[in-house]
Amino acid sequence: MYLTVLLPLLGFIINGAFGSKISAIGGSASDRRNEKVIGIIGSGVIGLSFLITIIAFFQTLALPVEERKTIINLFTWLKVSSLDVGFAYQVDQLSLIMALIVTGVGFIIHVYSIGYMHGDKGFWRFFAYMNLFIFAMMNLILADNFVLLFLGWEGVGLCSYLLIGFWYDKKFEKSTTSDAAKKAFVVNRIGDFGFLLGMFLIYLTFNSLNFNEVFTRASAFGVPETTFAFIAIFLFIGATGKSAQIPLFVWLPDAMAGPTPVSALIHAATMVTAGVYMVARCSIIFASAPAILTVVAVIGTLTALFAATIGIVQNDIKKVLAYSTISQLGYMFLAMGVGAFSAGIFHVMTHAFFKALLFLGAGSVIHSMHHEQDIQHYGGLRKHMPKTAGTFLIAALAISGIPPLSGFFSKDEILWYSFANGGFLFWLIGALTAFITAFYMFRLYFLTFEGKERFGHEKPASTRSNRGEHPHESPNVMVIPLIILAVLSAIGGFIGIPEIFSGEHGNIFHGWLEPVFKNAERKLAIYGLHTHFQEILLMTISVAGAAGSIFFARYIYLRKPSIASGTAKKFKSIYNLLWNKYFVDELYDATVINPIVKTSDSFLWRIADNKIIDGLVNGIASLIESASVVIRKMQTGVAQFYAVIMMVGIAAALFWIVLSL
Amino acid sequence: MNFQSLINSLQYIKPEIVIAVVIVLVVTTDLIMGKNKSLLPWISIAGLIVASFFVIEQFSFKAVSSNANGSIGMITADPFGAFFKIIVIVSSIIIVFFSLSSNEIKEAFERHGEYYTLIFGMILGMFFMISSADLILIYLSIELLSLSSYILAGFTKHSLRNSEASLKYIIYGGASSGIMLFGISIIYGLTGTTNLYLLNSFFHLPQFGGFIFWLACILIFAGIGFKISAAPFHFWTPDVYEGAPITITAYLSIASKAAGFALLIRFIKVTFIDSVDASGYWQLLNLIDWKSFLILISILTMTLGNFAALWQSNMKRLLAYSSIAHAGYLLLGLAVLSDQGLIAILIYFAIYAFMNLGAFFVVMIIANKIGSEEIDDYKGLGYSMPFLSFSIAVFLISLTGIPPTAGFIAKLYLFIALVDAKMIAVAVIALLNTVVSLYYYIKVLKNMYLVRPEKEMPAVLVSPAAFAMLIVLLVPIFLFGIYFTPLVNLAKSSIGLMGF
Amino acid sequence: MLTEFGKIFIFMLTAILFTVVAIFVARLIRPARPTHEKLLTYECGEDTIGSPWVKFNIRFYVVALIFLIFDVEVVLLIPWALVYQQFGVGGFLVGFIFLFLLGLGMAYEWRKGDLEWIRPELKHSVLKKTKTEKQILKEETVA
Repeated sequence: MYLTVLLPLLGFIINGAFGSKISAIGGSASDRRNEKVIGIIGSGVIGLSFLITIIAFFQTLALPVEERKTIINLFTWLKVSSLDVGFAYQVDQLSLIMALIVTGVGFIIHVYSIGYMHGDKGFWRFFAYMNLFIFAMMNLILADNFVLLFLGWEGVGLCSYLLIGFWYDKKFEKSTTSDAAKKAFVVNRIGDFGFLLGMFLIYLTFNSLNFNEVFTRASAFGVPETTFAFIAIFLFIGATGKSAQIPLFVWLPDAMAGPTPVSALIHAATMVTAGVYMVARCSIIFASAPAILTVVAVIGTLTALFAATIGIVQNDIKKVLAYSTISQLGYMFLAMGVGAFSAGIFHVMTHAFFKALLFLGAGSVIHSMHHEQDIQHYGGLRKHMPKTAGTFLIAALAISGIPPLSGFFSKDEILWYSFANGGFLFWLIGALTAFITAFYMFRLYFLTFEGKERFGHEKPASTRSNRGEHPHESPNVMVIPLIILAVLSAIGGFIGIPEIFSGEHGNIFHGWLEPVFKNAERKLAIYGLHTHFQEILLMTISVAGAAGSIFFARYIYLRKPSIASGTAKKFKSIYNLLWNKYFVDELYDATVINPIVKTSDSFLWRIADNKIIDGLVNGIASLIESASVVIRKMQTGVAQFYAVIMMVGIAAALFWIVLSL
Repeated sequence: MNFQSLINSLQYIKPEIVIAVVIVLVVTTDLIMGKNKSLLPWISIAGLIVASFFVIEQFSFKAVSSNANGSIGMITADPFGAFFKIIVIVSSIIIVFFSLSSNEIKEAFERHGEYYTLIFGMILGMFFMISSADLILIYLSIELLSLSSYILAGFTKHSLRNSEASLKYIIYGGASSGIMLFGISIIYGLTGTTNLYLLNSFFHLPQFGGFIFWLACILIFAGIGFKISAAPFHFWTPDVYEGAPITITAYLSIASKAAGFALLIRFIKVTFIDSVDASGYWQLLNLIDWKSFLILISILTMTLGNFAALWQSNMKRLLAYSSIAHAGYLLLGLAVLSDQGLIAILIYFAIYAFMNLGAFFVVMIIANKIGSEEIDDYKGLGYSMPFLSFSIAVFLISLTGIPPTAGFIAKLYLFIALVDAKMIAVAVIALLNTVVSLYYYIKVLKNMYLVRPEKEMPAVLVSPAAFAMLIVLLVPIFLFGIYFTPLVNLAKSSIGLMGF
Repeated sequence: MLTEFGKIFIFMLTAILFTVVAIFVARLIRPARPTHEKLLTYECGEDTIGSPWVKFNIRFYVVALIFLIFDVEVVLLIPWALVYQQFGVGGFLVGFIFLFLLGLGMAYEWRKGDLEWIRPELKHSVLKKTKTEKQILKEETVA
């Protein structure tokens, strides 16, 4: 199983060390064959990892439930007093599911990237980073202690940074991609700081950083709830950073500056769900602090609604998807917050399928539209690229929660649990968000694939002249991954069919994850009363609402486009608010960034840094310098003088002794 | 003591016997083969490998005396000694390979026989230093080591610096060994014995103590301090290191220092110990305040070394001062007076051997190519010799102690030992010293990578042999920087001194 | 509180101080009228001829060293000769090894020409040097 971790590392080493050489063979860097070699190495290692994970999955499946947890200890890394950090991997139900998602979806996206990144001068660099990312992500998932988890956590952050800024010489919106990368990095640092604090607190409280030990000690009594609350809130701050929740979500929309496969893999399917995974992994700690769990639920719900409303008005295809990701992540945290841990993980899985599909589909569109990303300039693309349109439609239906596609099962389960465990308000906002989601997803779909062709007219001739060709379907290497993901998005939900439909089998997915969460769920024990009638009713409401939203979107954007612009004009203030993403970036600029910049400019830089710190450093430096000159002078090169110093040294030692005796 | 038991006790000095036999073999081969000297290094390496087998055997020796009669003899054979002997052997093998690619040594081709004989003389001296438990043998082994190294320091005879180094070394060495002998004679006069274990039982008696003990011990310390170049007995180091052939400089900075440290640790622990408590702290006899003394000396040593290194323009001299500073860090590990400190020293030494040898090796190759050891001539080397520059960058970064290199692990364990012993202030001073050291190490890197060369330099290729050697030295730096558990475990199992 | 040795140390300091002060005071009050004779190095009443810093030939030391080694060998061998019969072959071997090592050293010295008053290789130094360079080249190719 550890091979699944090491293989991507191997791929990274090969592509990282020799990638430039490989692509240099044969002269031109964009030589197709060289790209093939790199692409096959890059995706091959991931594919192998995926195979191994599948094998490990079935092996684990064959075991009785109690033995489904193995720990592979590679080596002890650090052992200082009670701190014992090993490169140890924990293979259990939760990590296996996550590993399957990461390697499986990762593999598909790698293959897709061979087509998408074709001709890029950083082709080998791209695959090296992607492999490194998978390596770090697998470390994060399979870690059996917090330190290794943190290592992976930082590793994926680094890869995310590298890949967002992959086209470092390209302009992005008002600034450059490296600014977007920096933003992601800095915002993540804030979250990481919280995570680190949580880790320290865990070590202080439980005297260990090993998952098993910490969680066993946590489920025993004797630790005050406030301690748990502090640990949980710090860990949750970490999760909000990585998983783009309020208030640290601002980096994710900007992260779309990276290549689209990166957005699909890192900023939709895998890395951003790391926060969800971490909360699920530490479910026992969160369950011991119910107050914080409520905070998680509230933050999740708010984020879901908030991001969904922004999504309505965005025009950049990737931006819409980014806000939709934030919104879906909010759902997952809502699930965590109401104690429906396995429902949350289930949504992680289905979301990985359909969101990766959406992004890849968007990538396919962008690819064929020559990197035009504004949906107002699309339209009628279904004729030109039917496969992309079809798969995109499936994904959009899935995310909207239309049965029997995967999104329906997972989303509905979360909504149901939020109603049963959390309360009516959670459900209401959740359902509302689901309607909005359906609305803006289909707005996206209709504007992109249906209706009139709006491309090729507004653009100035100069940019069009050399790309005069029509939009076209993407090559097979890109389309086949789309189809695979579409199939998964369509049927992926069946492993989590709720109890009321499947009868005595129960929810297979729940049954599989049950051992991981049973302690936490037992601790919570807040399952409210509910009936099958209620469940069916709620389900019907949400499906009907989503379907209604879809038709509403169709009505507005296909039949009467004037309504959209009319509404926008009528409610200009609201539209502006949404268009500018609630001015959160500006708010941060005004409240946090500008004051910091100002103080750092006027005080920290001019006075504290220039005068005090530089003065101090220079002072110390010159002090050391002069001391060093004196010491150097002592080295005269005269042997007799050395002997004298030696004698003086001995005499001084003796004198000191005489005084001390 | 009868003859038979004498013969029996020979089994405890198997490595030393092997080394002695190799000396004879080298001399005889040199006599027989005449002009053909190419066999000598291979005999040396074979001999070292054979010796290492016997040394590894000693790892399993627990408290064994060299004398079967129950009385304690002059020689000990224990895991602690074996660890240091392995360090000596490994560095010797590496030095033999260095010598093969050193221009300086190649020029003195006719005297290769003497070169290897004297190196083995040094090894023999070091082996006895590491395992001796008797003041007489300590003195003799130091002399054996010193006499061989005096000659080697002036081996090439070509340059004035070379002879100067040798002469300074011999004068200074003579003075310090005289001082040491004086100390030993005082101890002998007071107790009537020179055996460390017997001395320890004598010192438990109440009538010992006071100034005269301090005098004797400090005099002995002066002798050992000369070997490990602890301040204020370090003055010879820069001059000798700069003047001596670079292979010998590298050798002196590792092996000779390792032997000196082994001797110092054994001398202090065996002679002055009262008991070792449960958490591994050594309770010393109340005769001498070794702790404050060692702390004082070590802080002085590292500060002098680091500060003087700041303005050095010659690479060998810079490394000489840096090795003085490292002796200071190592002494700090001893000053903790605990098993943890001892483990830290062992780890430090194992890592220090690789990084220092590596640094000297690269300096030597670069000197072979560009004919200079001046830091100013390193300008732009990062572009004309990318691999060599990368290697020396790694070695220097490791010497500074920055992760993920092994040097960081060495310092980490040292600081853990210090903090564990509540010596926070000392740890802070050591840390500040590390910061100072960063400056002069980085200066070299700056010259190599950030400064444009004054004249265009052709790209230089590294010979396959040197390349292989560098890989051998680079791998442990990274390996132990990330995966250091085996090294730590080895060190932990090697702290057993005879009798404890 | 000072120990006995501490007192001795102070006594030493006093003694040194006393000497220094005495010389210094004498220098202050004595008359200084140097003449040629007064400034000469005193050599048992004789005039010195030539510089005393002549170089002795290094060979003297080599011969003296070898003599010393074999002198010490005799000192060590006599007691061995008296008792080695008790230890049989082993005892004989110990002495033999000792003598063998000394003999080997001697042979080495002889072969290297260190026993000649003037080392023979010095005469052919030019010839030697070319040979050496060839050898180096050869070794390089071997390595």
